[in-house]
Amino acid sequence: MMNQEKLKAWIDSGTPWIWLNATAVSICLIMVIGVLGLVAIRGTSHFWPGKVMQMVYKNDDGSAPKTLIGEHIDTSLMSVAMAKANGHVMAENEDKLVQFLMKTGNRDLTGSDFGWILERNSKNVTYPKELVVIERREWGNFYGYLLSLKENGNVIAQGDTLWAKVNEKLTTSLALFEEIKKLEKKEIGAVNYSLERLRLKEKSLQLKNKLTVADQKEISAEREILDAEYKKFQAQLTELYQKGRTISVVAKIDNGSELEIPLSKIVRIYQPNAMSVMDDISFYFTKFSEFLTDDPRESNTEGGIFPAIFGTIMMVIMMSIIVTPFGVIAAVYLKEYAKQGVITRTIRIAVNNLAGVPSIVYGVFGLGFFVYILGGNIDQLFFPEAAPAPVFGTPGLLWASITLALLTLPVVIVSTEEGLSRIPKSIREGSLALGATKFETLWQTILPMASPSMMTGLILAVARAAGEVAPLMLVGVVKLAPTLPLDGNFPFLHLDRKFMHLGFHIYDVGFQSPNVEAARPLVYATSLLLVAVILVLNLSAIIIRNRLREKYRALEG
Amino acid sequence: MIKQEPLTHAINMNSYINNDFNNTDEAKEVCIQVKDLNLYYGDKQALYNVNMDILKKKVTAYIGPSGCGKSTLLRCINRMNDLVDTVRIDGEILLDNQNINDKNLNVSALRRRVGMVFQKPNPFPKTIFENVAYGLRIQGINDKRLLAETVENALRGAALWDEMKDRLNDNALGMSGGQQQRLVIARAIAIEPEVLLLDEPASALDPISTLKIEELINELKEKYTIVIVTHNMQQAARVSDYTAFMYMGELIEMGATSDLFTNPQKKQTEDYITGRYG
Repeated sequence: MMNQEKLKAWIDSGTPWIWLNATAVSICLIMVIGVLGLVAIRGTSHFWPGKVMQMVYKNDDGSAPKTLIGEHIDTSLMSVAMAKANGHVMAENEDKLVQFLMKTGNRDLTGSDFGWILERNSKNVTYPKELVVIERREWGNFYGYLLSLKENGNVIAQGDTLWAKVNEKLTTSLALFEEIKKLEKKEIGAVNYSLERLRLKEKSLQLKNKLTVADQKEISAEREILDAEYKKFQAQLTELYQKGRTISVVAKIDNGSELEIPLSKIVRIYQPNAMSVMDDISFYFTKFSEFLTDDPRESNTEGGIFPAIFGTIMMVIMMSIIVTPFGVIAAVYLKEYAKQGVITRTIRIAVNNLAGVPSIVYGVFGLGFFVYILGGNIDQLFFPEAAPAPVFGTPGLLWASITLALLTLPVVIVSTEEGLSRIPKSIREGSLALGATKFETLWQTILPMASPSMMTGLILAVARAAGEVAPLMLVGVVKLAPTLPLDGNFPFLHLDRKFMHLGFHIYDVGFQSPNVEAARPLVYATSLLLVAVILVLNLSAIIIRNRLREKYRALEG
Repeated sequence: MIKQEPLTHAINMNSYINNDFNNTDEAKEVCIQVKDLNLYYGDKQALYNVNMDILKKKVTAYIGPSGCGKSTLLRCINRMNDLVDTVRIDGEILLDNQNINDKNLNVSALRRRVGMVFQKPNPFPKTIFENVAYGLRIQGINDKRLLAETVENALRGAALWDEMKDRLNDNALGMSGGQQQRLVIARAIAIEPEVLLLDEPASALDPISTLKIEELINELKEKYTIVIVTHNMQQAARVSDYTAFMYMGELIEMGATSDLFTNPQKKQTEDYITGRYG
């Protein structure tokens, strides 16, 4: 009886309710921290240089023991029953089966980068200092020992001087590679672009039957200049390539076979077991900055993701530029000018419901309407010379931005309307009483005061758009874009180009990659980066909003 | 304190205007004439057949209990009631013999001639300078010297210049309530209206600020025709030359302030000013 009363008093006091609230908040916090923590730890640890072990490994099948070199990536514990079911022979005293995931590299020689081995079969684990890891532009990592450095087939370094010499030559080779890349992307890219424009100009004149002899002469003269330039660059390029191919390193892998790797195919060589902690740290930051600033390699499983970061930000900015004025204008009409009645209310409900339409539906609409109908017609009207290649009649940055602008439009409209209705009536009256028209009142006073709310709408829109993937797959995002949508060729901003996107990159690397094990850490790293990009975009918008809020602090009460 | 005027001034405006000529030398020009004004909010009638003359460069006070229509009547004079969707107005209001209820009237131009100050200070979230310059900028005046001059004059006119001359670029929202209300008055007189409508301008202010506003009104009536709505009968007695008592949407009685307070002609007026209701 006593207890019952106590319980009742306890319930009436509201304590359980407070506990429930606190629990809910805690669970939310734990989930957020968990998500971010997992992504952060898995994503960032990928760039840390792991030590490479060498061991004697004896397979269960009774074959002769062999040397195995590799990086320990992961450990898996398997229960006895499970191990037996998987066909492993288990001894009486064993209570679990320990397996290591080893990154052994040398895909060109062994066929795979990764392999699971049994801990109980590995013996004599050592970490030899001379072991090298060679990051290559193709075929993934190489693990093994350096033997010699060759130039034009002759050995130029061996033994003690080898490591220093290799590093010296590699620096030159990397500089050479940068030069080649610049020549290919910038100079030759620009010439190709000009040539293409010239071809389109000629064809366009042809189609209009306006191609005069004089025009033709002019065009061929220009073309000759460009061709000459192209030939010049091509010759330079060939020379550079030749220079890069002359030097190569000879290296030996665990099964004893030797391999010659041209220096031009090497990104970096390092001896992980000889590196101090400071070396590790500097290596970590080099790798991380490479990840941020470089182009992807090896079907996106190596290298950086700069084009994806760039594409994401570019797309979000384009979307913001489209959606903000559009949404604000619509909201102003709905709130300020439209007669408040059944029709306005219906429109408002419809707009709100648009926010609930699944994003892939917008993607389908974008593809069907923007890309095919709108883009197709634009091509027919303005770019007949480009046919049969589409210009705007194919997915691209413009259509992706517009589709996402449509997707996020309701958010902007709703929050702008809210902002407009929050402005005190007295401010409007004050302005009108001074002889301002409604329009002047809007422009001079109301819209600036509502700008924090517009920014809120934009923040929500950015958060939604930057994370959207599904519709983008239909309207402009690709796995690998050869060029950025912004470059040095007139008109600089190429809205018709396809682009890369972090969200799609996660999907592509994680689930469409031929090398799943290699891609997994990249999925986390890219996720981390996507979160970071959204955070940065949002934070900048929030800072702007707070500034505006401070400026247009509305009258209290 | 309250100077005695002949009894004949009371009740009907038309009668006291005529009598007034006998009494003083200055001409009593009519500035605003309200003729048979009826106002409806939807189905509800808010003003019944109001007739009234408001004299130039005098202070006219509207008193009456809450909801009696005094603010509504005031807001008719600069067509502020246009903002209410359901409003319907019959009758005429003549400002210098021009009907302001004319459908073709330029409302913005009217509001430039008839300035208004509201119950709660409503400065814009801009600098003090920009607040005062707002009406001029709206008219497309951007000449810096002219703006500076007008702003100074307006602030002086609102007895705010000495306090604010070093703070012109501060946000107006950082001022005190009384200062804000005087700023709003400065903003209104910066565009040099003919009439100033004050809708309970001191009701949200402390006694000292209220006093300042009242002093200001006394100065302003030299240049402007002022109509003030107030709840405070002492205030009406202190600042106004003429007082109109309204009740349930009707103009009950109007006359020289001293007469109305000392010798009301209608029972309702007497009840109200002696505090029997309201």
